[in-house]
Amino acid sequence: MQIFLVFFLWSSVFSDPTRVVFGYNKEKILTYVFGILILKAIVLSARTVDVAGEISRGDLTNFLLKPVSYFKYWFSRDISSKALNLGFAAIETLILFIILKPPFFIQTDPSALLAFATSLVIAVVLFFALLFLVNIVAFWMPENGWAAQFLFVVIITEFLSGGVFPLDIFPAAFQKVLYFLPFPYLLFFPLQVYLGKIAGTQAWGGIMISAFWALVLLLCLNLVWNKGIRRYAAEGR
Amino acid sequence: MSKYFKIWWLMSKNAFISMLANRLGASVFMFGKLLRFGFFLVFIIFLLKGTNTLAGYNLNQTLFFFLTFNLIDVVTQFLYREVYRFRPLVVSGSFDLVLTKPVNALFRSLMGGADILDFMTIPPLILAIYFLGRSLNPTTVQVLLYLFLLINGLVIATAFHIAVLSLGIITLEIDHTIMIYRDLTNLGRFPIDIYREPLKGLLTYLIPVGIMITLPAKALMGLVSPGGIVVSFVLGVVSLFLALRYWNFALTKYSSASS
Repeated sequence: MQIFLVFFLWSSVFSDPTRVVFGYNKEKILTYVFGILILKAIVLSARTVDVAGEISRGDLTNFLLKPVSYFKYWFSRDISSKALNLGFAAIETLILFIILKPPFFIQTDPSALLAFATSLVIAVVLFFALLFLVNIVAFWMPENGWAAQFLFVVIITEFLSGGVFPLDIFPAAFQKVLYFLPFPYLLFFPLQVYLGKIAGTQAWGGIMISAFWALVLLLCLNLVWNKGIRRYAAEGR
Repeated sequence: MSKYFKIWWLMSKNAFISMLANRLGASVFMFGKLLRFGFFLVFIIFLLKGTNTLAGYNLNQTLFFFLTFNLIDVVTQFLYREVYRFRPLVVSGSFDLVLTKPVNALFRSLMGGADILDFMTIPPLILAIYFLGRSLNPTTVQVLLYLFLLINGLVIATAFHIAVLSLGIITLEIDHTIMIYRDLTNLGRFPIDIYREPLKGLLTYLIPVGIMITLPAKALMGLVSPGGIVVSFVLGVVSLFLALRYWNFALTKYSSASS
């Protein structure tokens, strides 16, 4: 239902089709709205949310005894979840597209599409690392894994990644600060690249920053995991 | 009445003590809720700075719609949090224990555990509504209408929650139904004038989100007709009546399975 709220909110703002606000025209903002729907299915849908529960219930022991990489196991589950969600999101988008008939911006520049695809792949890895890090808080606070997820995944990630509204409505100084954080590279940045609002060296510069964040978070994940696993006492087993 | 208030107080106190058992989790949850509220507030302020108006409403008016939505949302969650915990009772058959007690089963299922986290956000919200409402220069009649329509909105929200409970008894489905309700009411975060027909009509009369949330705020701004006010009160009474009938019907379908 939220797509209706966002769609009609922006349709109302752009009731005059020639109007340009925050650097968007009607076609681009509605592409943003539908793009977010698809990108959320690709980037933010993940089964890794269950890791905290496995740790606090002691179920992690079952995996530690098996000859499989726990990270790779969850990453593969994430990918399958994304494929499933992408299918549903595509059907949902198609139905909404038929009902609402929005103007849609199709990017045809191959270099922009290549940069978009690259930023999207990095966003998937970035979110995996971020979500996993938040979940392994359960090693230290087994009762509060859900609270950490609510704060970081439902609230902070959702808003600061541009999942609720485009981040360019904020003042330029605040946007500059945001671009130093990993969150905009999850949804907002890839969509800006698709829309052509960020192009050329600026796009590849952003991709480098997001790759840097992915690397840093993966290293942190490894470090925190190694510390956490030493604390793990398999309570409840 | 005083007996029920005493029971409600005892059950709310128990819910509060149980929440205190996990203070850190509750604090993080509360912080998250406030952060979400803050993000939306900032969004509306920057959006209206860029566009000046939204569906003909200025910044203060749009904020007033948003605060009214939050008040109704928070009050219903504070009072009716127990609805979210109803399913296990029906699935396990423990609802038998509720039915056999000399307390109204609907009262126990609807208000059996107030949410103190939501309660804490109500006073600042009322203050914000008071100060923002004053800046809109309403007359005494408009303020009274706002208050009555707000109560009417809460009556409709109550009817929704009773209907969700009833559906839960018949189908064992609560979680998704309540999420659908939350999704629908979220459409009232902004004035329903932003929606196009037929959605606007649906949100006004069939799923009365508009009457619940947008109409009280419009009344304070002097933007409602006498006919609209009468229709909304009639809709409030009818929805509560139908929800109670549905509850009585649902009770006859309770099978006490698993008990």
